[in-house]
Amino acid sequence: MSASNKAIRFRENAARAVGDRALRAALSNAAGVFTVKREEAFQSTPLEEWRELASQTRLEVLDDLGAYVDRFSENASKAGARIHRAKDSAEARTIIGGILKERGIQKVVKSKSMISEEVNLNADLLRDGIKVVETDLGEYIIQIAGEHPSHIIVPAIHKDRRQVGRLFAQKLGCEYTENPAALTRIAKKVLRQEFLSAEAGISGANFAVADTGSIVIFTNEGNGRMCTSLPPLHIALTSIEKIVPSLADLPTFIRLLPRSATGQVITSYMSLITGTRKLGEATGASELHIVLLDNGRSEIARGEYREMLKCIRCGACLNACPVYRNVGGHAYDSTYPGPMGIVLTVLFEGMDRGHPLLDATTLCGACADVCPVKVPLPGLLRRLREERVVQGATPKTEQVAMAGFALLAASPKLFRMAQAAVSALWPIARKMATGRGVDYFPVPAKKTLSRRLS
Amino acid sequence: MQVQLFSTCLIDTFFPETGEATVKLLSRFGVNVVYPRGQTCCGKPADSGGYTRESRKAAEHFISVFEATDGPIIIPSGSCASMVKNHYPGLFRDDDRMRLKAEAIAGRVYELTQFLVHVLRVHEVGLKGKGRLTYHPSCQLTRELGVREEPLQLLHSLKGAEVIPLPNADRCCGFGGIFSAKLPEVAACMADEKVDNILQTGADTVTGCDHGCLMNIAAAAKRRGSPFQVKHIASVLAEAIP
Amino acid sequence: MTRDDIVALFIENAAKAAAEMHRVRSNAELNEVISKTTRGQGPIYCPGMTRKEKAVIIPEGRRSEDSAASTVCIDEALGAIAETGSIVLSSMGGKPVQAGLLAAHHIAIVSSETIFENLDQFFSSWEGMLPTNITLETGPSRTADIELTLTIGVHGPERLSIIVF
Repeated sequence: MSASNKAIRFRENAARAVGDRALRAALSNAAGVFTVKREEAFQSTPLEEWRELASQTRLEVLDDLGAYVDRFSENASKAGARIHRAKDSAEARTIIGGILKERGIQKVVKSKSMISEEVNLNADLLRDGIKVVETDLGEYIIQIAGEHPSHIIVPAIHKDRRQVGRLFAQKLGCEYTENPAALTRIAKKVLRQEFLSAEAGISGANFAVADTGSIVIFTNEGNGRMCTSLPPLHIALTSIEKIVPSLADLPTFIRLLPRSATGQVITSYMSLITGTRKLGEATGASELHIVLLDNGRSEIARGEYREMLKCIRCGACLNACPVYRNVGGHAYDSTYPGPMGIVLTVLFEGMDRGHPLLDATTLCGACADVCPVKVPLPGLLRRLREERVVQGATPKTEQVAMAGFALLAASPKLFRMAQAAVSALWPIARKMATGRGVDYFPVPAKKTLSRRLS
Repeated sequence: MQVQLFSTCLIDTFFPETGEATVKLLSRFGVNVVYPRGQTCCGKPADSGGYTRESRKAAEHFISVFEATDGPIIIPSGSCASMVKNHYPGLFRDDDRMRLKAEAIAGRVYELTQFLVHVLRVHEVGLKGKGRLTYHPSCQLTRELGVREEPLQLLHSLKGAEVIPLPNADRCCGFGGIFSAKLPEVAACMADEKVDNILQTGADTVTGCDHGCLMNIAAAAKRRGSPFQVKHIASVLAEAIP
Repeated sequence: MTRDDIVALFIENAAKAAAEMHRVRSNAELNEVISKTTRGQGPIYCPGMTRKEKAVIIPEGRRSEDSAASTVCIDEALGAIAETGSIVLSSMGGKPVQAGLLAAHHIAIVSSETIFENLDQFFSSWEGMLPTNITLETGPSRTADIELTLTIGVHGPERLSIIVF
């Protein structure tokens, strides 16, 4: 999402976020609701069986990603789609911008796509004079607000109804209301016109089926269907690891994704789109372009962090994470927040930019508990922390302290001396300490256990 | 039966009374406790920061101290026990000789309540407790070691003490080793949430198996002026011994 | 599972997703339900392509040929899935799938023998080149994007009535 290589200022962002009472209340409520709904949805289901199956299917594809991309491309082409492979974000933007400019299209309707956030599509199209109308209500809200999503499933969760009401009144010129149903109706009215007059629709895809060349889109609002079956031109932007081998693999993911994301058995709509409108049909775009983004995924699939690519973007780890729950998505200053976001940001944007996010976890493991595809998040985070040290991206003082720690831990004599020093200097340190924090620090015992037991 | 006690650096330096309580508790059940000299720290502080080289040094020392001994190694801390049991072998993934030693040591390690319930088969401490207790299950203890029921079993068997379930018990308290030092604002929020949940129970004492967590909770409680006590489970159980 | 069990499970699960369920056994009953559920609503669109769609009686002056301008769309689904309570729409044979999306009230006729027990059976029933669009529709459209407060009826229909025939 960011072109900058500057390290993310997570601590600063987080400190600001935890001071925002309204934000914390909104996040706490959301995480709580999602957690309960998820648990209810998985009651009396063979969840462990599903998780294992989904994990295996993902690994099968990752083992041979190139071949699956080829197979998908071939079958999608047979069905009438044009396939474009985008090596990175810039290429994805160029491809999509090119398709629209070639046809003189000046406005597109768009349904939710996290990949479009990853490649920073909207800003780019805007620069080219192409208007993008976000149609997912949450995305529409943050688009009007000029913000980025703070949660991958509910992008505007950081806003309460009053904030949305004020936003609509200000930017749309309508009468102020804070009633969610009324606000939804306002958005519906505005967007319906856009749908019916749009020359092009851009969507993401939750999955892509190699055997049939189909893309799968889950939505609740119906905007995804509007964007993909009404305009004559449809551009689907997705990433290569979302491919599953065949239709027979879909049921497991259909059972896992909606339950993990919102606690629903299934979303209101699930569309399976295969190519362009065929002879005798009355539904479907006449032109379909599928842009497959790599952005480092092929390489990651071959390496030790490959399991992160099993992720199906359900957001359950965000809801389970005690850090995310307290700071929200914006603090991560990245396309993807929460536990999966820490790993993906470091992998996609590099250690220089992402390393502060590696502090944003206690490795408590709550994320791994809820991941529907068994991504070993704590393990990946630990490995990335080791990488961070090896690359020298930790503070110098910390490195020195750790070296000192190693000396003490390896030498009982030095260890006892250090204990004695801490005990002796404690009263002085207390007097000198500026923060009140030291008041709450445990007091070194006058006689250590080793001395008591010897 | 004879066991080796690894006290952990936190208990050795800041909470020796917990170490003494552990010895008293094990002795009550007929176990002879040996405290190998020369023990220092399991290396977790370095490990959680990703400093493999430094944590290996701590691990090598731990292994050298304990390989000269026999029998179960008891550790009154979920995170330290998990460090040795689950992470030591991985630290030596490139060194077959040390990895085998690490695996041998790992196989001898028990977290305290794990040992009491599964090896000593103590389901009933046969002791009289008092007051209203609530229990905080630490993250590595539950998720890495799989110790969930054992501490509660022991607490519930204290006749006269009331054990109140802690709401949102499985939420991290915000210690996370260096996490609380690097992101103190977030850690404070997490600790506050934990304190709020404890206050909801009306308990006069919160207990747990990890001093890292307990230290963090105690600091937040003190900052908030909360009235409850914070005690390691070894102390809670040992205090009930007449 | 028997056919009756499958139908019962479908009705149960579709109702859980806030679809309004009806069971009929004749054209007369079909039209009785339709008349009742469309009372007071605006123009009705019906593609009139399948036998059951052709049996739908639309009162004078209420029929519309423009699905985008209709309040009600009555069509027959390709099938349904009991496991999730979903109806299945497809673009095969020229069916205008978007008609049911644009109307405020979507009334879908489902023939009981076309209901699949579960997702696995449904997906394994497809062979060869798929139609351009296969949509699983489960309940009316909804959103919870504002404060996680559920609002029914966004871009898709705010009412889904399913008539199992």
